[in-house]
Amino acid sequence: MVDIALNIAFVLIFFSIIFGIIRLVIGPDTVDRVVAIDLLTIIAIAVIGLLAHVANRFIYLDVALVYGLLSFLGVLAVARFLEKGI
Amino acid sequence: MMITLLTLLLCGGILISGVLAVQLDSLVSAVISAGLASLFAAVVYVILAAPDVAMTEASIGSGLSTMIFLYAIRKTRDED
Repeated sequence: MVDIALNIAFVLIFFSIIFGIIRLVIGPDTVDRVVAIDLLTIIAIAVIGLLAHVANRFIYLDVALVYGLLSFLGVLAVARFLEKGI
Repeated sequence: MMITLLTLLLCGGILISGVLAVQLDSLVSAVISAGLASLFAAVVYVILAAPDVAMTEASIGSGLSTMIFLYAIRKTRDED
């Protein structure tokens, strides 16, 4: 049962990464690429959480925590830059 | 099996984002694409069982270097 759920999660993450990269490649504007990289960051956090369960090492969740905090700051810095701030 | 496919997809993403960072015209888009390379590299480090390297890569490569690049673009574009 757990294996079926993990396989479904892996397949969903595959397609999410593929669609995010497609949006990053064809995105005509900078804002589209910012949204795409925010999406890919959240997918990366999901991948790290999934790996923490698969490898049975819960120290990986600290990496996901640091990742979430820093990605929020990065997207915030880019947004302020696009509004002529920083 | 699944982990291998995921690693291949992430390495392909690093390759695509590197090509985009070279090819794109907008400087901000190029900086964002270069940040994606270090973002996926951090996940690959976690797959390779090195969480400390992944944490350093995420904080410096994806967070600090993007901000420093944006600051440099802001500082230099005013003088054009």
